[in-house]
Amino acid sequence: MAHLYLLSVFLSLLLSISPSLSSNSEGNALHALRSRLSDPTNALQSWDPALVNPCTWFHVVCDSNSHVTRLDLGNSNISGTLGPELGQLKHLKYLELYRNDIGGKIPKELGNLKNLVSMDMYGNKFEGEIPKSFAKLKSLIFLRLNNNKLSGSIPRELTTLKELKVFDVSNNDLCGTIPVDGPFASFPMESFVNNRLNGPELKGLVPYDFGC
Amino acid sequence: MARISYRLPPLPISVLVVSLLFYQSAGLNSEGQYLLDIKSRIGDTYNHLSNWNPNDSTPCGWKGVDCTSDYNPVVWCLDLSSMNLSGSLSPSLGGLVHLTLLNLSFNALSQNIPGEIGNCSSLEFLYLNNNHFESQIPVELARLSCLTALNIANNRISGPFPDQIGNLSSLSLLIAYSNNITGPLPASLGNLKRLRTFRAGQNLISGSLPSEIGGCESLEYLGLAQNQLSGEIPKEIGMLQNLTDLILLSNQISGPIPMELSNCTYLRTLALYDNKLVGPIPKELGNLECLKRLYLYRNKLNGTIPREIGNLSSALEIDFSENELTGEIPIELKNIAGLSLLYIFENKLTGVIPAELTTLENMTKLDLSTNYLTGTIPVGFQHLKHLIMLQLFGYIPSGVQHCKPLVQLHLAVNGLGGSFPSDLCKLANLSSLELDQNTFTGLIPTEIGQCHALQRLHLSGNYFTSELPKEIGKLSQLVFFNVSTNSLTGVIPAEIFSCKMLQRLDLTRNHFVGALPGEIGALSQLEILKLSENQLSENIPVEVGKLSRLTDLQMGGNSFSGEIPAELGGISSLQITLNLSYNNLTGPIPAELGNLVLLEFLLLNDNHLSGEIPGAFDKLSSLLGCNFSNNDLTGPLPSLPLFQKTSISSFLGNKGLCGGPLGNCNESPQLSSHPSDTKGTSVRLGKIIAIISAVIGGISLILIIVIIHFMRRPVDMVAPLQDTPPSSLVSDIYFSPKDGFTFQDLVVATENFDDSFILGRGACGTVYKAVLRCG
Repeated sequence: MAHLYLLSVFLSLLLSISPSLSSNSEGNALHALRSRLSDPTNALQSWDPALVNPCTWFHVVCDSNSHVTRLDLGNSNISGTLGPELGQLKHLKYLELYRNDIGGKIPKELGNLKNLVSMDMYGNKFEGEIPKSFAKLKSLIFLRLNNNKLSGSIPRELTTLKELKVFDVSNNDLCGTIPVDGPFASFPMESFVNNRLNGPELKGLVPYDFGC
Repeated sequence: MARISYRLPPLPISVLVVSLLFYQSAGLNSEGQYLLDIKSRIGDTYNHLSNWNPNDSTPCGWKGVDCTSDYNPVVWCLDLSSMNLSGSLSPSLGGLVHLTLLNLSFNALSQNIPGEIGNCSSLEFLYLNNNHFESQIPVELARLSCLTALNIANNRISGPFPDQIGNLSSLSLLIAYSNNITGPLPASLGNLKRLRTFRAGQNLISGSLPSEIGGCESLEYLGLAQNQLSGEIPKEIGMLQNLTDLILLSNQISGPIPMELSNCTYLRTLALYDNKLVGPIPKELGNLECLKRLYLYRNKLNGTIPREIGNLSSALEIDFSENELTGEIPIELKNIAGLSLLYIFENKLTGVIPAELTTLENMTKLDLSTNYLTGTIPVGFQHLKHLIMLQLFGYIPSGVQHCKPLVQLHLAVNGLGGSFPSDLCKLANLSSLELDQNTFTGLIPTEIGQCHALQRLHLSGNYFTSELPKEIGKLSQLVFFNVSTNSLTGVIPAEIFSCKMLQRLDLTRNHFVGALPGEIGALSQLEILKLSENQLSENIPVEVGKLSRLTDLQMGGNSFSGEIPAELGGISSLQITLNLSYNNLTGPIPAELGNLVLLEFLLLNDNHLSGEIPGAFDKLSSLLGCNFSNNDLTGPLPSLPLFQKTSISSFLGNKGLCGGPLGNCNESPQLSSHPSDTKGTSVRLGKIIAIISAVIGGISLILIIVIIHFMRRPVDMVAPLQDTPPSSLVSDIYFSPKDGFTFQDLVVATENFDDSFILGRGACGTVYKAVLRCG
């Protein structure tokens, strides 16, 4: 009798975790993301982890090797938070999460997305700092984090992102100075307005994190 | 080559000598005359027959002419082959009664074969092939009872074989292929007992193969391919004991394959393909031990493949494909050790692929595709060293409709063919159907509307034709719909816009025509819209601007006309591409497109767009690439750094674009740093400033000249001091007396305005110093 009981407990445990036991790590990552998000319009309804890969899921685009390259969830009434698992999407090029109600901190694991070309998370409720790990996003061309509640300073490490063409952090709570090196030399002032920034950094005279 | 003429009767030599002496002064003999007449009707561009001299007494030395070498030489051989001769063949040919070999092949002789040829009663070898002879085979030809070889192939001969052809009792070789010979084959062919080779393929021969053909007891090669033979293969064919090759391909022969063929024990090649043969493959064919090639494909044969086929021990190639054969593949095929090619595709075979086939080590090409075979693919095929082709694809088995729980059916990138399996829509749970990159043909059936649960329908890369069925609109759950790269025609049905859940719609590379209906705006979930490379026309509907979630809009390569709607600038989510290239769009580029701040690629090339590239395009901060070439655009490029870095090829073929890689514009330089919303204002402002500056400068210059002029005149008007006495100076001066001193006091103080009291001179007069007493 006890054996039967143990067996049924084991089996039910197995069944409860089996939906996430797909052999596809990218599908698992996205499924974990879904469990953190609240999705009243059912944009993520098709995200079925029992499928062999997430390439048939709506709002997901894969390349010819069945690796996720685009996540198109802009304007989808999504709330909740992001988690570290998004960083596992090693082939992701476009992360489009703009104009939703996502809050919490931006996970530093997003810095692992070494193929990322565009990160659009503007128009959400993200708080905390811009992760320094974003300096690892060597392919990044577009970084739009404007209209959130981000605080802290703009990581100086971001000046190493040679491909960065568009950088918008306007309408946040950022402080400190604006980097002037590398791609930051060409960003217009509109990219930084409505923060608590102290203007461009004065090299050699003022310590970088002054007043922040 | 010399031959003794057998016709010359024996005569006393003295009579001969006298005759010769008597006739030695006569002209060209009659055969020579006939030959000259033949030459007169022949066109000889290269002068091969230049030595055909009328002054000769005999033609025996002439090129191409051979005579016998006895007392009365006669022409026995006339060989004018491959001499580029044209013109016609003279009836004088009939005068050459001693001719045994006539070879005129590989020339360009035309018109008809003269009936007089029937007089050449010695003729054994007649080669007229590869010319332009036309009209009918002359009946008189049938009189040539010595004729053993007749070759008239590759001409334009028409009409039927004459019935009398059976009189050519010596005929061994009859070659007549590639002509326009019509009509039925004469029954008299059966009289040709010596006939070994009869090749008349590529003609218009009709009727059936006469049963009398069984009389051709010497026949080895019978070739009648590519004609219009009908009727049945006569069973008398089995009488041809010497037959090695029976080639009847590409005719309209019907009826069964006669089992009597098995009596042709020396048969090596049996090619009956591309006919309308019915019935089974006779098992007796297995007796043909010499058979190397057996081609029965593209007929309507039914029944099973007989096991006895395995007895064809010499077989190298067996092709039964494109028939209606049923049953299983017999394992006895393994006994054909030398088998190199086995094609049984496109039949209705069932059962498994016998593993025994893997022992056929000489197999190079094996095609069993498009049958109803089941089971596994035998692993042993991997050991066949010479195998270069293995094709095992087929249809979607209709049994799939019974897999009731089926949710996803993904069969993309296979060799599946036939028509769309409409039974699939009996699967009530089917939500994803992917059949892309196969060889499906025919139309998308109306039954597609029954696939109510369908969310994903991918049919791209097939050969689907005809119009999209209206029933597509019933698929209320449809999210992804891709029919790109097919041959679909007609208009885009308005019903498709009832599929309100659509996120991705791809109709690229078909033959869709007509306008894009404005109902497209109802697809509020649409993220990707691809309509490129069709023949869509009329204006781009403004409703496209309502697609607020669109990230990718591809409409290039159509015939869209009218102007680009400004509403497209309202698609704020547009990121991947806006491609309107290769259309007939006119008018200006709307400045509203500058609002597409996420847009990475903008392709407007190869249209008839006019006006300037809006300055508002400076706002396109995400732009990675653009192409405006081949339009009628003018004016400067926007100052956005991307435009300055883009290759010049993206701007070529316009009216007057300038700036960036095109070289500087002739406008005022400070204007490029003042972006203004209205075009032309900055240009006009510059002109106004320039004019005003010029005017001011001009006036200043005139004033300076006038002032200088006036400054010079007063100097001349001042009288020199020596000429005018002081008294006149005193009487000319008037000033009002001041209190305290009078004029008299001044005269005394300056000693009557003496020079020693002068302080200086100016334009108004001379200044004297006078010291006056106080008081």
